[in-house]
Amino acid sequence: MAIRINLGYIDELNKYGAEDVQLCYQCGDCSTVCVHSDDIFNFPRKSMRRLQMGLERKIETTLEPWLCYYCGQCSDQCPREADPGETMMSLRRWLIARYDFTGIASRFFRSSATEVIAILAVALITGLFLFIYGKAGGSISIYDGEGAFLPSSFIHFFDLAIGSVLAVFLLINAYRMWHLTMNKGVSVRISPWLYLKHIFTFPLHFFTQKRYAQCESKNRNFIFMPWITHLGLMLGYVTMLVLVMVFIEELQHGPEIIWQVHLFAYAASLGLIIGTIYFIRSRLRKTAYVQFKKSHSTDWVFVILLFLIVITGIGQHILHRTGYYEAANITYILHLMCVVPWLLRMPFSKWAHLLYRPLAMYFAAIQKDALKKQLRLSEDHMITVK
Amino acid sequence: MENCRTGVYICMCGTNIAKVIDVEAVREFVSGLPDVMLVRTYKYMCSNPGQEMIVQDIRENNLNRIVVAACSPCMHERTFRSALRKAGINQYLFEMANIREQCSWVHHDQQDATEKAMALTQAAIRRVALHEPLENLSVDMSPATLVIGGGIAGMTAALELAEAGYPVYLVEKTGRLGGNLARVDLTAPYLYSAQDLINERIFRINDNNHIYLHLNSKVTELSGFVGNYTATIETIPVENGHKKEEVKVGNVIVCTGYKEFDASRITHYGYGKLPNVVTSFELETMIRSGKIETREGRIPRYIAIIHCVGSRSLEFHGYCSRVCCMTALKYAHEVKSAIPSCYVSDIYVDMHAFGKGHEDFYRRSSEAKTLFLMYNKNDRPVIRRADEKDDCQMLIEVNECLSGETIEIPADLIVLMVGMEAREDASEVAHLVNISQDKEGWFIESHPKLEPVATTTDGIFIAGTCVAPKDIPDTVAQARATAARILAKVSQGKIEVDALYSEINKEICSGCRLCNKLCPFSAIEFNEKEAYSEVISALCKACGVCVAACPSSAIKGRHFTDAQVMAQLDGLLSPVKYQIEAVTS
Repeated sequence: MAIRINLGYIDELNKYGAEDVQLCYQCGDCSTVCVHSDDIFNFPRKSMRRLQMGLERKIETTLEPWLCYYCGQCSDQCPREADPGETMMSLRRWLIARYDFTGIASRFFRSSATEVIAILAVALITGLFLFIYGKAGGSISIYDGEGAFLPSSFIHFFDLAIGSVLAVFLLINAYRMWHLTMNKGVSVRISPWLYLKHIFTFPLHFFTQKRYAQCESKNRNFIFMPWITHLGLMLGYVTMLVLVMVFIEELQHGPEIIWQVHLFAYAASLGLIIGTIYFIRSRLRKTAYVQFKKSHSTDWVFVILLFLIVITGIGQHILHRTGYYEAANITYILHLMCVVPWLLRMPFSKWAHLLYRPLAMYFAAIQKDALKKQLRLSEDHMITVK
Repeated sequence: MENCRTGVYICMCGTNIAKVIDVEAVREFVSGLPDVMLVRTYKYMCSNPGQEMIVQDIRENNLNRIVVAACSPCMHERTFRSALRKAGINQYLFEMANIREQCSWVHHDQQDATEKAMALTQAAIRRVALHEPLENLSVDMSPATLVIGGGIAGMTAALELAEAGYPVYLVEKTGRLGGNLARVDLTAPYLYSAQDLINERIFRINDNNHIYLHLNSKVTELSGFVGNYTATIETIPVENGHKKEEVKVGNVIVCTGYKEFDASRITHYGYGKLPNVVTSFELETMIRSGKIETREGRIPRYIAIIHCVGSRSLEFHGYCSRVCCMTALKYAHEVKSAIPSCYVSDIYVDMHAFGKGHEDFYRRSSEAKTLFLMYNKNDRPVIRRADEKDDCQMLIEVNECLSGETIEIPADLIVLMVGMEAREDASEVAHLVNISQDKEGWFIESHPKLEPVATTTDGIFIAGTCVAPKDIPDTVAQARATAARILAKVSQGKIEVDALYSEINKEICSGCRLCNKLCPFSAIEFNEKEAYSEVISALCKACGVCVAACPSSAIKGRHFTDAQVMAQLDGLLSPVKYQIEAVTS
């Protein structure tokens, strides 16, 4: 059955950052140079072609864009400057929008104004709400304990509420991803046993990002190689997320320092501050690695917002410990004004790849296993037919 | 008979000859033959030292016959003849034995090959003894040129010659100049206007009083030979009478161009049945009129261009028509600039972007988001009408090679890139000017690389797309090349013709006129008054047909006399013996 091509798709993907894909003439250099491209998941060449032709059904059901870590070798190698690396990135953005059932992600990716306005609105509502709440129950000059402006127990409850909303969105979208890639996207039957067999792939890739390390074989700078910075940023972020969701009361408690909790918080903060500064600097200079040469508006929102979160977080902590309680409370509100839109934005932004990418690795391992079995079967079959 | 002093030179041609033939054994054998004064072997006889050696030997040893056993005379006969001239003896006292193409290149066995080389050399030695000194002929060269075809090639060649001050008869079958190029809007890849290219030339032609322009005319007869042709130009009969003119010309340039492939021959493209399937020339007409639209008058949202229509398929023409790829890219540009919202699909076999500026043009078409889709030349796209619910008129089903997918391409207007074909009257023209055609009907050049505009008939030149499909720069270059070739000859006023021709002994000739009819070059005329036949030596190509046919043996082929041929045969058939020496270790 012939598939209708969609000639307008390339214009649509342009909004997601695929600016040069039309230049690709399918030489395949990109797939040759990519360490992750193999017989079953052959990219970026095929992805480039599907994008050019607008084969949406094929793209939305593939895991391939998630298997790319954007080391940029393909873009360095491309004889037509078609930028396969950025094309894969734009496909990931499009997939995030495609998995998202609310349609918010697609609006954010296609219009930076919409995203900024939404973030500002959520920030203002949060700020207003917390200020009114603080005024009603406490004093702005008390940071912690009796009569505190923003008591830690309340913040804990508040965090968990936001976290639950986030989790609901993420889980629904993850289910949609599973449905598209594992249900619609595979021709072979996948036995439930395979899901169990490969279950550890998910945490493995989540915590180590070891496939990104494989991209690095040809990189020269060890300290600032993208894998380390990327992993550092991610681990810092996840540590912080756990601390905020579970240990917020210990974290906020003062004035003594609870090292069991704070040590992690300091380490995570350090990781985040170094990571965000490095990313902002690289994106501004456009020099370090290929992936920093082009920045989508959502990339800027991502790093700037995260940077603000870290700065205000550290700020309120220092102000609290040094006794400027009023300033600490105001900085804390500013901090939360960044944190809440940040968390709520997560399922609709690039940050969702925190979940989608390791999930894709897991699904890909299962698909490969299933396909290999089928291939082996058909080879045997061919032998007997002969 | 004079005393023959023959020098024999055996060439090794590097290892081309020496690796199969034992040249030293040939030298030894030859040195024992009668009349042979001197035998040498040498690495490369055609080299300057090789030729110098011959000149030196002739002078020092009073040699009066030379045999070179080397390659084909087509390759180096001229070279060695000039060495003889340099040494001061007649250039026809020379013979070549071909021991490369006819021996070392086609045999493996050393014994057989060496024996054959001995026989060939011996034949040449026997023949050269009977050679006579001959002088080349010099004939007048008419300064006028006949140019058949008024397209870009014909106009360019005519202007080139006329501007050098020589008369040109430019004959065009239709009522206007410009040929196929006049049907085109812009040209790839620099988007110059075709009209501008042509108009500038038409003005110059009209202004030039050396050019005699014959529109609506045909050349109906051509007789004569290089330097002295007579052409009959007739107007194509119309109501306002019929004119006939005879002109004398020295050379003829044929640039009759091409015709486009008839797209309705590929039935499943539906050309002629589906209203919005058009040929590239029909799209040109639309573009020139300033409106790209469907037959229903709507602005197309999707335009698909299909390449290689009639080209590169064994069913129609196996060759590539060379200009369609770039023309298709040009359409993509023109469509995008006329209708920016229109999507262009370019369905191709291979993108041939070989020329200057072409690859860049291809890249710019990609930048403009032309979607390039590749099909296999043996698996053509299929066009069908779209359904009511579709947002397009037609759908093209293609097995797309780069993605491996079977896809459907939406289209409101489909452009078929029709290839180039030899014109149906090409064989008539070929017959008229006595040149040959290949199996596709294109005129054949005398050497595809070294003589691309000359033909096997002296004084007849070919240029442009009547030779093979080509683009405008190549056509113009060829047209100018023909003019340069002709100018080099007419500027001398005379032309030298080989001394090889037949002679009729009028005492013996019975006047049967058998040879008159047989001569393929119409070089024999009958002298009614004295009742014998005579040869027009400048026309004679020395083919020898008349010599063989003459029942009275009255005709002699100069340089191919019976005695010479018989001596050569004797030499060839006399026994030779070569024993490979046992290898002593």
